[in-house]
Amino acid sequence: MRNFDYLEPVTVAEACALLKQYAGEAKVFAGGSHLTILMKQGLYQPKALVNIKKISELKGIKYDAKEGLCIGALVTHREIETSALVREKFPVLSDAEREVANIRVRNMGTVGGNLASGEPLTDLSQIFIALDGKAKISGPNRERIIPVEELFIDFYTTSLAEDEILTQVVVPPLPARSSIEYIRFSSSSVVDKPSAGVAVRLTLDSSGNAIQTARIVLGCVGATPVRARQAEASLAGKGLTPQLAEETGSAASQECNPTSDLRGSEHYKRAIVRTLVKRAAMTAYKRATSA
Amino acid sequence: MKKPISLKINGTERHAEVEPRTTLLEMIRDQFNLTGAKLGCDIQVCGACTLLLDGKPVSACSVLAVDVDGREVLTIEGLGQNNALHPVQEAFMEFGALQCGYCTSGFILTAKALLDEIPQPTDEQIRDYLAGNFCRCGCYQEIMQAIRNVAKIS
Repeated sequence: MRNFDYLEPVTVAEACALLKQYAGEAKVFAGGSHLTILMKQGLYQPKALVNIKKISELKGIKYDAKEGLCIGALVTHREIETSALVREKFPVLSDAEREVANIRVRNMGTVGGNLASGEPLTDLSQIFIALDGKAKISGPNRERIIPVEELFIDFYTTSLAEDEILTQVVVPPLPARSSIEYIRFSSSSVVDKPSAGVAVRLTLDSSGNAIQTARIVLGCVGATPVRARQAEASLAGKGLTPQLAEETGSAASQECNPTSDLRGSEHYKRAIVRTLVKRAAMTAYKRATSA
Repeated sequence: MKKPISLKINGTERHAEVEPRTTLLEMIRDQFNLTGAKLGCDIQVCGACTLLLDGKPVSACSVLAVDVDGREVLTIEGLGQNNALHPVQEAFMEFGALQCGYCTSGFILTAKALLDEIPQPTDEQIRDYLAGNFCRCGCYQEIMQAIRNVAKIS
């Protein structure tokens, strides 16, 4: 690993000022589980690391009835996994976290780092997008809030400017008559990165039978998480039958762009996506209609 | 530029001067001569370098030493007390839960963290918690027996 300046700001403003000063040559360092590996491999050689761990406002999980679940950028995977609050409000997140990497990575890795790394082989992003999650971002003298979906541009590339920090993820309360299901598929060891991860959120209309809105988000099968918009649209106004679920899965599998790698060929991953979308939609629908 | 840091290692306050790029594993092995933790995969997959940081398992290969300033590290060398082995160490011996031993310190520290958190874990909880520690000699059944046994006795 190349050496670098090591900086420990205690406020967000200070951190952003340091990032600005290094003009793109500094990296934000949170848990470090992603960054240290890439630095050891020489893929990143930043002039400085801006360690944000001492910024206390980036810590903690809280719930606000209006705003929803607010997850600080420094919250670790393990905190989400074990939080009683998350388990009560969004059990889909607790269940997904159980399968993320291994206990050591979950102890170190943070939500902010997970999203800001732009790593496509991950789980949280597709769940947040299916839940209409927002990302709070701070830069020098400015703040903005964007849908989590708009964070991702390409492999390892996000819409964060070089002097900006992702400070919080906000997951709004689930609308009435809604349910979400997330299924990840891992090709070999349980702790491997997922081959595909599919989140389906369905919201029913006032009849309680027909789907009003659907979110189908496909992870790990493209440079960024992908919304299967045609598959989503095909569900609107309809009750979900096994045949419709099958068709939706097929449609979704054509809306992603998987790469053939050691976690499966492109053809194989599309087949997995088809099946996972079908299963997740059926489960979410069953839960929403019986609630 | 070296940076001075202070941390607790196995209960004792220690000081070191480290370059920002030095990993926790390099510092623990090379500066403090605590060589129980091993370098394995170097990408947080295998668990051979596991140390407990503030009581929680981490991959020391991927933690920066500068980032543990003011924190507490437990290594396998600090696990037993007064020349007596820790119950998990005893159980690993009793059940033959190792062959070459390369993964052992990582397994034992992870098992200790598990039992601190969940004193009576189910088999599923043991498997979940230890899923990220690899034993290439294949002592998994014996490791399960050893941990089950410690949980039963305590």
